[in-house]
Amino acid sequence: MSDRIGILYLDDEEQNLLSFQALFRRDYDIHTATNAPDAVQILNTQDIQIIFSDQKMPEVSGVEFFEMILHDFPHAVRILITGYADIEAVIDAINKGQVYRYVTKPWDPNELKICVENALEKFRRDKELIEKNTRLAEANAELEKFVYSASHDLRAPVASIMGVLKVAKMEGIDGKTAGYFDMIEKSTARLNEFATNIINYFQNDHSETLHEEISFDAIIDEVFDKYQRQPEYQFITFRKDVAANSTFHSDTYRIRMILNNLVSNAVKFCDNKKPQCFVDVSVVQNKEKAVVRVTDNGIGISPQVLPTIFEMLFSNSDKNVGSGVGLYIAKKATKKLGGTISASSEQGKGSRFTFEIPNKA
Amino acid sequence: MSLTVNVIFHLVDDNDIDIAVNTKLLQLSGITPDIHTYNNAAKFLQSIQSNQEYYSTKEHVILLDIMMPGMNGFECLDELSKLPEKIKARMKVFMLSSSIDRNDIRRAESYDLVQRVLEKPLDIYLLKKTLEGIYE
Repeated sequence: MSDRIGILYLDDEEQNLLSFQALFRRDYDIHTATNAPDAVQILNTQDIQIIFSDQKMPEVSGVEFFEMILHDFPHAVRILITGYADIEAVIDAINKGQVYRYVTKPWDPNELKICVENALEKFRRDKELIEKNTRLAEANAELEKFVYSASHDLRAPVASIMGVLKVAKMEGIDGKTAGYFDMIEKSTARLNEFATNIINYFQNDHSETLHEEISFDAIIDEVFDKYQRQPEYQFITFRKDVAANSTFHSDTYRIRMILNNLVSNAVKFCDNKKPQCFVDVSVVQNKEKAVVRVTDNGIGISPQVLPTIFEMLFSNSDKNVGSGVGLYIAKKATKKLGGTISASSEQGKGSRFTFEIPNKA
Repeated sequence: MSLTVNVIFHLVDDNDIDIAVNTKLLQLSGITPDIHTYNNAAKFLQSIQSNQEYYSTKEHVILLDIMMPGMNGFECLDELSKLPEKIKARMKVFMLSSSIDRNDIRRAESYDLVQRVLEKPLDIYLLKKTLEGIYE
């Protein structure tokens, strides 16, 4: 392949083609055609960077020709040659992005040369951008893959530590060491949550969205169960209320992920000073959608931070318990399900998270 | 706490800490005193081959780790699927994994032998509830 730039010129008037060739032949590889099929043939066999086309031709117009080839040859820079009468069609074509520039007939050789140089510059810039984007996408995918597999690797020893802690607690830990075990357990729980969140984030992004039948009852029971079985959460009342007016189809995995995050937050930020702490989950589902509300009477969220809670790495650090990814993932998962999520809160009184997802039945 | 049926547990896991923890958890929860451990899948398969009579007379629960060097959990499952019906009928497999991949769950559930995929650390309560559903 030669380094010379290939230019194609399509015009039904051969005289124009000849003078075009005379003008550029020394600097570029010039290919000419008098009809669209010949021009396509050249595009298929030659390396073409810039395409000139006359607008007024007997069979197809220049704009129509560009439309024809746009899909197969998107990177070639397209320039229309036209008389003033066709200016409406030209403006339209430029606005639609089919044409880069236009040149009026009869052309001025110097203007035409500048036009080719500009087109070439654009071609090179585009090419560079495409290459950069490809490299960026590759690097991004690599990074995500790395984080994902690192989180998997991280989760294995964390699970082992959690297992050992379980056994130690079952066998009984005496007074003085109990405090230390408690600290290890809390730190491990945070590490575990972080690793799990990253894995969830990746799986939400990369796994397909299912349209299976959903039992909100079963999902909520499973989410509550983790806490209800443990003595340290007995002071919290977990309530569920599911109003099912029709069957509901969506993705169990993602709904569970969202609910897990919301309920875990409600538990984390419960208000120990209140005589009775509660976490309520209510669902109203019908043919169109499901509206799920997670309400607590916890410490609440201050109005200043409320607008930012769904952002990545947000953490209400007073309690030093969050990884800052949970709500971000909840929002991403809701989006994958085609829904929306929002929060309202009053400090000292509690918070309510609401997500709405469409019924994919 | 023990099940009404006598169940023999087989733990197949390359991680010795997880083996020790799961053995302890099973013992402490009183589900069964009868626990055998294997640090790779080949050893477990070998045990079945040389004790076919034993494996076809009593109830066996297998806790099979998915990620193992050499033969992994799924490859082991493929081998277990080839066993004679009289052995398979008495075998209940639980797949264990420290981080559950969505595709792994679906893949595991496609095997008749697999009861459930459980995340580590082992949730004895969940395991027991499932076993009660099977045997009682």
